[in-house]
Amino acid sequence: MRMNWTILATVLLLLVQTSVLPWLVPPGWSDRLLPHLPFIMTVFVALYGNRHRAFFFGLGFGLLEDVLFYGKLIGAYGFSMALLGYLLGLIAERRPRTLSFTLVSVALGSALLDMMVYGIYDLFQLVNVTFAFAVYWHIVPTLLISALLALLLYIPVRRWLVKNIASSAEENGG
Amino acid sequence: MRNKRLFILMIGVMVAIALLGYTFGRSKLTWPEKFINDTFGTLQGALYRPVGAVADFFRDLSRLSDVYKENEELRQTVARYTEDKIRYNLIAKQNEALQEELNFTERQKKLYNYKFLIAQVVANSSNPYDPTIKINLGSHDGVKEKMAVTTVDGLVGLVSRVSEFTSTVTPITELSSTSTDSISIAATIFGREDQSFGIVDFDKEKNVLQMSKIDENDVVKEGDIVITSGLGNVFPRGLIIGKVVSSQVGDFGLTHTATIEPAAKFDHLNDVFVVVTPDVDAP
Repeated sequence: MRMNWTILATVLLLLVQTSVLPWLVPPGWSDRLLPHLPFIMTVFVALYGNRHRAFFFGLGFGLLEDVLFYGKLIGAYGFSMALLGYLLGLIAERRPRTLSFTLVSVALGSALLDMMVYGIYDLFQLVNVTFAFAVYWHIVPTLLISALLALLLYIPVRRWLVKNIASSAEENGG
Repeated sequence: MRNKRLFILMIGVMVAIALLGYTFGRSKLTWPEKFINDTFGTLQGALYRPVGAVADFFRDLSRLSDVYKENEELRQTVARYTEDKIRYNLIAKQNEALQEELNFTERQKKLYNYKFLIAQVVANSSNPYDPTIKINLGSHDGVKEKMAVTTVDGLVGLVSRVSEFTSTVTPITELSSTSTDSISIAATIFGREDQSFGIVDFDKEKNVLQMSKIDENDVVKEGDIVITSGLGNVFPRGLIIGKVVSSQVGDFGLTHTATIEPAAKFDHLNDVFVVVTPDVDAP
């Protein structure tokens, strides 16, 4: 992974997520489709970089998102994205990085991220919906839109941000 | 190796919980937070407004067929407005003269002299449990915590955190009566301001905005418009909150509770107003 360029691209994607995507979501769906582009990038880092980088990448961008939209708590996304980045990096270590594997990771990761954040807010008694409703209302739609966005980001990330397969495999070995 | 990993995970969980607990219910921001918010706020504003303009343009195109009818309606509204404006001017002047005659203090005269600061929304949060909106006015422009934010449709929310050039707005659907630093909005019914009174807050259990503690002799009907009453002078008066959807007997059978549908829309926001109440108690 070219980390410097990846970080720059992710900052831009975060801006797109907060300021452009709300306009593209049809009215009435704004609290159902809530993709996290920095998280999708964290999954890419976990798959094509290594798990330690994914951990710090997820931590950094998670905390950034928390600070930018500080409502009640800081740290829910920082914690969840760091942990998921590390775990996905661990799972992906000795596996072929195919498109389908990437999409499944993003979809699964997105669902897990939303569930973890639900858990943290539930711990502080700040959630007013049941878990089943949260799954139906936004976790599943967000999962689908995240997979779609990962599909859109797949080619650019592979072309510009991953150096080449040989060197990234070397990185994983080390 | 396994143990070390587990150890680090435990430390991480502890640090995370400590951070969550520390930031829970805090209202002031530290300077790094302000710096990040302001830097990103500028960049977000540069994206949000042009994209919003394009989106609005396409929405207007699709509504082109309604323009003729809307124009007709607006013309009638303007005619009525002009009539009302003449009446208003007379009444305002009379009111001023009466205040003078009754020896109102400077403080009493300025009480309802609100200033509306126009602000642009720059970003929306994508956290489903903590929806917030960011606007491009901050403490530099005189915005303070707990100021009301409205659109032309109605009340949107309250300013929850202020940094130098941006602030964060919590929507009214997040103001719960159970949280520690909650604000209950004193409200009344439009057209019967002197008779009705109730407290508006958000019911977390039923997931609706509601007006509670309404007198049982006070008939609140479906379709009534709920506005802020300004009693208590913390919250400005005359801001539209929403429409009554249903009304039922409250908790102990002594008061009534009405369910309200918010008048403002919370997605695709563009221009909002921050209502600045005059600082009458300042020396």
